[in-house]
Amino acid sequence: MKSLVTIRDGGAAHWAIRIAAALLVVAALFLVPTKGGNGLITSSTEALTLMCAAMALNLLLGYTGQISIGHSAFFGIGAYTTGICVSRWGWSPWITFPLAFVAAFVVGVIVSFPASRIKGVYLALVTLALALVFPNVLRWPKLAWLTGGGPGLPNKDSQVQTTGFDIGRKPGQMRHFEIFGWDPFGDLRSLDAKTAFYYWIAAFIAVVVYLVCRGVVKSRAGRAMVAVRDNETAAAVMGVNVVATKAFVFGISAGLCALPGSVTAIRIGSVSPDIASLTIIGSLTFLIVMVIGGAGSLWGPIVGACLYVFISDKTGTWANDDAIPALLRPFFAWSKTPPGGGIFAVLLIALMFVAPRGIVGAWKQYSSRLVRVVPRPVGMTAPEALVRESGADTTDTTGATGATNINNT
Amino acid sequence: MDLFLQRVVDGLAQGSVYALIALGLVIIYRGTGHLNFAQGEMALFATYCVYQLGEWGLSIYISVWIGMAIGFAVGAATERLLVRPVAKKSPFAVFIVTIGLFQFLNWLDGAIWGDQLLPNSGVGSEQSQFPSLFPDKDTDFITIFGANIRIQWIGVFALVLLVTGLLFLLFNKTRFGLAMRAVASSPDSSQLVGIRTNRVLMMSWGLAAAIGALGGIVFAGLNNSVSLGLMFTVFIYGSAAATLGGFDSPGGAVLAGLTIGVIENLVAGYAQEWVGQSLKLGVAFLVILIVLMVKPSGLFGTQKVERV
Repeated sequence: MKSLVTIRDGGAAHWAIRIAAALLVVAALFLVPTKGGNGLITSSTEALTLMCAAMALNLLLGYTGQISIGHSAFFGIGAYTTGICVSRWGWSPWITFPLAFVAAFVVGVIVSFPASRIKGVYLALVTLALALVFPNVLRWPKLAWLTGGGPGLPNKDSQVQTTGFDIGRKPGQMRHFEIFGWDPFGDLRSLDAKTAFYYWIAAFIAVVVYLVCRGVVKSRAGRAMVAVRDNETAAAVMGVNVVATKAFVFGISAGLCALPGSVTAIRIGSVSPDIASLTIIGSLTFLIVMVIGGAGSLWGPIVGACLYVFISDKTGTWANDDAIPALLRPFFAWSKTPPGGGIFAVLLIALMFVAPRGIVGAWKQYSSRLVRVVPRPVGMTAPEALVRESGADTTDTTGATGATNINNT
Repeated sequence: MDLFLQRVVDGLAQGSVYALIALGLVIIYRGTGHLNFAQGEMALFATYCVYQLGEWGLSIYISVWIGMAIGFAVGAATERLLVRPVAKKSPFAVFIVTIGLFQFLNWLDGAIWGDQLLPNSGVGSEQSQFPSLFPDKDTDFITIFGANIRIQWIGVFALVLLVTGLLFLLFNKTRFGLAMRAVASSPDSSQLVGIRTNRVLMMSWGLAAAIGALGGIVFAGLNNSVSLGLMFTVFIYGSAAATLGGFDSPGGAVLAGLTIGVIENLVAGYAQEWVGQSLKLGVAFLVILIVLMVKPSGLFGTQKVERV
C-alpha cells in the first residue's frame, strides 16, 4: 500500500510531529486544572491513575505477550506500601513511592519464575487466581498487625494516625506542599487546592511511568521483549535470555503498577481490601483499558484510560440527563448498576472483530495511508504479531518491516 | 472422627460444584482448545434466571431445566457468534472475547437484578432463600458414625455422579459423543469423514454451559442465595480442578474437583487459625501453580508434545 507522504524516522519532519504531540500533551495537562472544574480534575486524576496501571500491564502483555489478570495485586502492593509506611510508621508519603516500586518489583520478579514455565492462557489462570487470593491475604487475621485486616488502614491500632497520609484534615498533617519555598497549591485543607494537588501527583507519576515505558520499549530490552512475544524459541536462538527478559519485564511492570496504587492510597486517604482496583475488578479494568486503547502501543493505554473514564462518567447519569434523547433514556434507566461496564464489555468484544490492535492500532493502520514513517535500517521494531492480522500492510515498497509504527512520539 | 466425616462430606458437596464447572471447562477445552473464562459467569446468568423463575412461583424442579436450557443457549450462541469468528484471528482474541463476555454477563446480571444479595426480603422477594434441589431444612440430616450428614450434601454428590455417568454414556455410547471425541482428537480429519465439526463445537459449548449452569444453581442452593460475586471463586476452584485432572479429561476433572473440595474443607477446618475461611482460596491457587509447573498435563490428561 502506497502512502501519500513518506517521512524518515528521526528526520526533521518526524521530530516536528513528535514535538507538536508533546506540546499538545503538556498543554492538555495544564489546561485541565486551570480551566476545568473540580469534577473534571478528579476524573482526570482517575484517568491518569488508570493509564499508569494500563501502561504497566502493556509492557507485560502488549510487548512481551505474557497475559496477566493479576495486576490488581501489584496495584495493591503499591497502595499498601504507602498505607503501611505512612499510617503505621508515620513516614512521609513521598518516600513510599520508590519503596512501593521496589516492593512490587521484587514480588514481580518472584512471580516471573513460575511464569516463565507457564504459557498463554494458563498464565492468565494463575494470575487470575493471584488476583482473587490477594484481597484475602490482606484480610488474613495473621497479617492484620501489618495490613489492618478487613477494615484496612488507618485504624484504631495504628501507631501513628495523623501524619500526612490523610492530607490536610487533622492537626499535624501536611498543610502545604512547598518546593524550594514555592507553594503552588496554597492551603491544602481547601477542596480546590487538594483536588489540584492530587491531580498533579497523578500527572507526575503518569509522565514518569510513560517515560520509563518508552525507554524500556525503545531499548535493547524492549527489542528482546518483542522477540520473546513473537517467537520465544527464535528469540532464545538469537541470544535473548528469555528467563531474564521475563523476570525484568515482570519486575518493571509490577513496580510501575504499584505507583498508581500509591497515588490512589494517598488520594483516598485510606487503604482496604475493598477498594475496587485491588480486586479482580481492577485487573479486568486494566486489561480492558489496555486492549481497547491498543495493546503493544505506547499511546494505547493513555487513549483507553481517557475513554474509559469519560464513558463511565458520562453514562452514569444518562438515565436522568436531559441532553440525551428521550428515546434513549429508558435504555439506560432500566439498568440497576452503571451502564459503563456493559458498554465497555461490548466495545471490547466488538474491537476484537474489527480492530484487534485497539483504537491506536487501527489509527496507525489508517493513518499510515497518509503519512508513513520509514524506520531506520538498524534497530527497527519487529512487526506486531501478537494479534495476527490478515496481511494488511505487511508489504511495503521499502521492504522495511516496521512500517506500521508511525508517529511513535 | 465424626467431625472428620462431616467435613469430608461437606467437602464432597462443595467439590461437586467445582467438578461441574471443571467439566464445562474440559468439554470446551477438548473441543476447541480454548479456556472459557466466562464459564462461571454463564452459569451465574442461568442461576439468576432460575431465581427469577422462582420469584414468579415456578418450582425449582422445573426451573432447573429451564436454567440449563438458558445456559445451553448462551453457550451455543457464544461459540457461534463470538468465538468462532475470532478464533481464526488468534487465541489471544478468543481470550479477550471470553474476558469481555465475563464482564458483560456480570454487568448484565447486575443491571437486571442489582448488586445486592438475592433473595432479599428487603426488595420484596417472594422467596425466603434460593431454592435448593434437595431437602435442606435444619432437620434434614442423617447420622452416620455420630456425624451429622446433611441430606443436601449427599444429594449434590449423587447429582454430580449422575451427571458424570450420563456424560460417560454420551461420550462413549452415542454417535454424537463419538463425533465429539473425533473432533477433539483431530478436527480436520473428522471434517473430512463427514462430521459437522462446527455443529459439534457449538453443541459442546452449549453442553458445557448447561452443566456449568447446573453447578451454579446447585451452588446457589447450597449458599441459599445468589450474588454477583458468587462464581468468581467457584470458577477458580473449577479451573484448579480442571488443571489437576488434566484439561482434556472429564473423569479427571470430576475426581480432581471432589478432591479439591475435600482438601480445601479439611485444610480450612483443621488449620482454622492459620488458613481459615480467608485463605481457603490459596489452596486452589497453590494447586494450579504447582500442577502447571510440575506436571502441566495434570494427573489424567494427555501429555502435549510440542514441536518447535
